[in-house]
Amino acid sequence: MKPLTKKLFRTIMKTRGQSLAVAAVVLCGTACFICLVSVHRNLLLTRDTYYAQYRFADFEIMLERAPNTTLFKLENIPGVRQVRGRIVEEVNLDLPGRTGRLVSLPNRAESPLNDIVVRKGRYFSEGAQNEVIVSERFAQANHFSIGDILRITVDGKRHALKIVGEGLSPEYVILIRSVQDMVPAPERFGILWVPQDFAETALSMSAAYNNVVGSVDDPEQLDAILDRCEDVLDSYGIFAKIKQKNQISASFVADEIRGLEVMARIMTTVCLGLSALVIFILLSRMVRNERTLIGLMKAYGYSNLSVATHYVLFSLILSAVGCVGGFAAGHAMAGGMLKMYAQFYQFPLLRSQVYPDIVVKSLGIAILFAFLGSLSASIRASRIRPADAMRPEAPVIGHRVLLESWGWLWVRMGFTWKMIARNVSRSRFRASLNAFGVMISSGIIIMGFFSLDGIQYMLSFQFELAEKEDVKISFAKEMGKAALHESARIENVLLAEPLLQYPFEMRNGWKKKDVVVIGMERDGKLRDLMNTDEEVVDVGERGLVLSETIAEQLGVGVGDFVTLKPLMGRITKERTASVSKVVKQYFGASAYMNINALSRILGEPFAMNAALLDTEPGMERSISDQLNDAPFVSAVEVKVDALESLMDTIGQNIAIMTGAILTFSGVIAFSIIYNVTLVSLAERQRELASLRVMGFTHREVGSILYNENFVTGAIGLILGIPFGMTICRLMVNAFQTDLYRMPYHIAPRTFIIATVLTVVFIAISNFAVRNKIHGLDMVEVLKARE
Amino acid sequence: MAVASNPSAGTRGAPIFRIDSLVKEYAMGEVTVSALRGVSLEVKQGEFLVILGPSGSGKSTLLNIVGGLDAPTSGDVWFRDENLSAFNERQFTLYRRNHIGFIFQFYNLMPNLTAKENVEMATEISVNPIDPVEALALVELTDRADHFPSQLSGGEQQRVAIARAIAKRPEILLCDEPTGALDVATGKIVLNALRAVNERVDTTVLLITHNASIGGLGDRIIRMRDGGIRTIIENKRRLSVDEVEW
Ligand SMILES: Nc1ncnc2c1ncn2[C@@H]1O[C@H](COP(=O)(O)OP(=O)(O)OP(=O)(O)O)[C@@H](O)[C@H]1O
Ligand SMILES: [Mg+2]
Repeated sequence: MKPLTKKLFRTIMKTRGQSLAVAAVVLCGTACFICLVSVHRNLLLTRDTYYAQYRFADFEIMLERAPNTTLFKLENIPGVRQVRGRIVEEVNLDLPGRTGRLVSLPNRAESPLNDIVVRKGRYFSEGAQNEVIVSERFAQANHFSIGDILRITVDGKRHALKIVGEGLSPEYVILIRSVQDMVPAPERFGILWVPQDFAETALSMSAAYNNVVGSVDDPEQLDAILDRCEDVLDSYGIFAKIKQKNQISASFVADEIRGLEVMARIMTTVCLGLSALVIFILLSRMVRNERTLIGLMKAYGYSNLSVATHYVLFSLILSAVGCVGGFAAGHAMAGGMLKMYAQFYQFPLLRSQVYPDIVVKSLGIAILFAFLGSLSASIRASRIRPADAMRPEAPVIGHRVLLESWGWLWVRMGFTWKMIARNVSRSRFRASLNAFGVMISSGIIIMGFFSLDGIQYMLSFQFELAEKEDVKISFAKEMGKAALHESARIENVLLAEPLLQYPFEMRNGWKKKDVVVIGMERDGKLRDLMNTDEEVVDVGERGLVLSETIAEQLGVGVGDFVTLKPLMGRITKERTASVSKVVKQYFGASAYMNINALSRILGEPFAMNAALLDTEPGMERSISDQLNDAPFVSAVEVKVDALESLMDTIGQNIAIMTGAILTFSGVIAFSIIYNVTLVSLAERQRELASLRVMGFTHREVGSILYNENFVTGAIGLILGIPFGMTICRLMVNAFQTDLYRMPYHIAPRTFIIATVLTVVFIAISNFAVRNKIHGLDMVEVLKARE
Repeated sequence: MAVASNPSAGTRGAPIFRIDSLVKEYAMGEVTVSALRGVSLEVKQGEFLVILGPSGSGKSTLLNIVGGLDAPTSGDVWFRDENLSAFNERQFTLYRRNHIGFIFQFYNLMPNLTAKENVEMATEISVNPIDPVEALALVELTDRADHFPSQLSGGEQQRVAIARAIAKRPEILLCDEPTGALDVATGKIVLNALRAVNERVDTTVLLITHNASIGGLGDRIIRMRDGGIRTIIENKRRLSVDEVEW
């Protein structure tokens, strides 16, 4: 082995703590990169093949009822490749708190649009009427087995269906009933696929459909095609036209995939950038330390290049070691992450594949960063002239610091604190590096816990502030006042209030949008119209209250008029309504109106299609059991049930999230603080050893370094909080969609957690340095002038 | 046992150290280097002891062991009635803290503390310290109190180091070539300061030097060679610093 190579390995061994810390940051960076990029790619690939293989439709139109003859016309629209009319209906199960969506499929398996994957059991048998295939997760969560009988109520009539299979569909990769539900509740809501014949009979829709899905040649042309479809179906009561990218499941999946890409970029850059910084401090210190040696080597005839290469090589080796660990960790993390996705997303298979090109790429990126980190030190090393090396280094020069102008404070400070103050200002670069590390780390903590805060906040906003009812009954059609009185008379019901939800096409000039208008009582106690500032907005006597998103899309403001075209039922007459208010809301596509005013628009003195109940505590379930098969009741929702299963799902993810956040923020904080401290320890070992000689204890000597870290850490934390908040703000903006606005809400708890964790991380780094302070050899250090 | 800080304990002439067959060996792989080969010596309170000897003869090793920086391979060092060989790390620290002042050839001042603050650093951990201003006055540096080390000359820095060492009122000052890096004139100022401390505060001084003529300052002159004491000369008439020629 060449002597220079030998020295390289000795150096690595000697600085193994620091070298390992560098490798750890590189490990985090590559692990992040590999994990996020391969999960991203796996997800993208899985999704695209899944969509293609099972023919996920490019568009979906929901309507009142159209005869099958219209399907021909739709298919003949230029650009349309294929259409399928089907029957889709929300139903109640005979099990409390469970609702389902009936979706019809061809009687015989024939690869239709929005096909299903039969995961267990079989497809419907020839001519069988009452068979059902249940969405897999729903079946699992409720312990249904093949052969079980499922009782449902459709259109006021009860049916018994035999479960013949469990299935998945590209339409329901993420199974959420409505955007407001936010997270899937696999136990409470499932898809029931039934044969076309059954659906037609049960809903009295023979040779008709209420939902059509279609594929097109060119998705770019969708707008024009949908307009043509509308012309065809105009008289059949369209109430929603949905492009694939706006479909709930598809848009959630697309958002997630986009988020992964962004995260991959951010996390990789942050980690590897930090590793470059740590390498930079480590090497700068090393070159300064080895000046004499470098000079000597050059005097012996080593070239500048070989000296520079020596230091670059050092960082490349550390980086390579980190990379190898990162490959393993990245793939393990990818596996874990896919498991988490598997919980939310229902893909027929989620591959955890190793992509060699990603591995190669990550190695390349890591090496690039390592190279950048070592560049300045190597250049400095190559510039050292043999003669320079023999000249002693410039002495450290003491400076007064700003703090000293605060006379009374300065006088009261012990010399330890004076030393710390002057040190921080003396080695400003290192101090800022420390602070920077803590800033990034606390920013990550805040960002991580912020996403949990957001979900929890939304839950309490939705379920405590906005929706105060215990039970919500949905009716199959519009009802009169009598339904309200009847609801109020149910045993254990304290209060009943009406609700009217009706879909309209809202128009302003050529701009239009399908919107569900919610009619509510003006002084109702169970539903409040809330804006994002948690203020209750009065719905008024007449006029529309629009969410900001809708108002922007339609280009209307307060006082403007919009045209309302009912999208359902017998009423087809268009009306105009004035916009009375525009409110900022988390869920985008809603509009509100006084229930009486909305009823009048529908040509009725009073109409309602849902009742909100306030019940005696604990009686919600028995009430819902009673109502399940009442006539005209299409769904009964119990709030506590909904909350419970949401909390379950969220709880599981909190653990995974917290683990990931802790690891990353911890490694980042630790490796920076540890390295910076060791470098400053090495630089000051003479000072510190002479303190020991004077009779300072290990703890007293250590506390100078420890407290210095706490001071820089505090600065880092103070910067980290606004930094974290800025990231959160950016996240909120990045993830804002038509459907949903993320709340910018950071719980005070998150700041406390960030502070506590930062202190813990610094304490751990300090503890790791402790050994080195104990190992200070007074005799040795004081003997030689370095 | 506890190492009590008791600066007034003992009177001039009473034994303060008893060093008994001290051996220090360094194992260097196959070979063993003997730095001290059975050194015995008694030191009295208030004594000014000069240690001479060629390079490598074990002077620093002896001083470091006496000062509690290093432990001997065998043999005992009695400080009054306490045996240093039985000390643990913490007791060594307390011993140095309460009884010992060190001065080295290199000043080892904290570069980012002023002269006065460097002295305060020592007084802060001491039970019965001299006022830092007074300590600086003893080495005639009152007017440089607010200067940083980089603004002081070598001799001035060494005097700050002395002020720092004596501010704790140590009973023993251990000086390893304090004038080694200084010119004659500056060296004399430093030696004067040491002498002043020895005479006024009764501090025992052990001083290592390569310079035989400095020997005249001491009460006794010890010559070391090959890890052992060769001769001990009683100096009947201590010279003043101005009388020393080198
Ligand atoms: N850590 C060590 N490991 C091995 N040998 C050592 C060590 N420290 C000192 N020695 C050896 O012990 C012997 C005595 O060293 P010491 O430093 O006491 O000499 P000295 O008399 O102070 O010399 P100088 O006048 O050059 O300072 C020397 O031979 C030296 O090589
Ligand atoms: Mg020596």
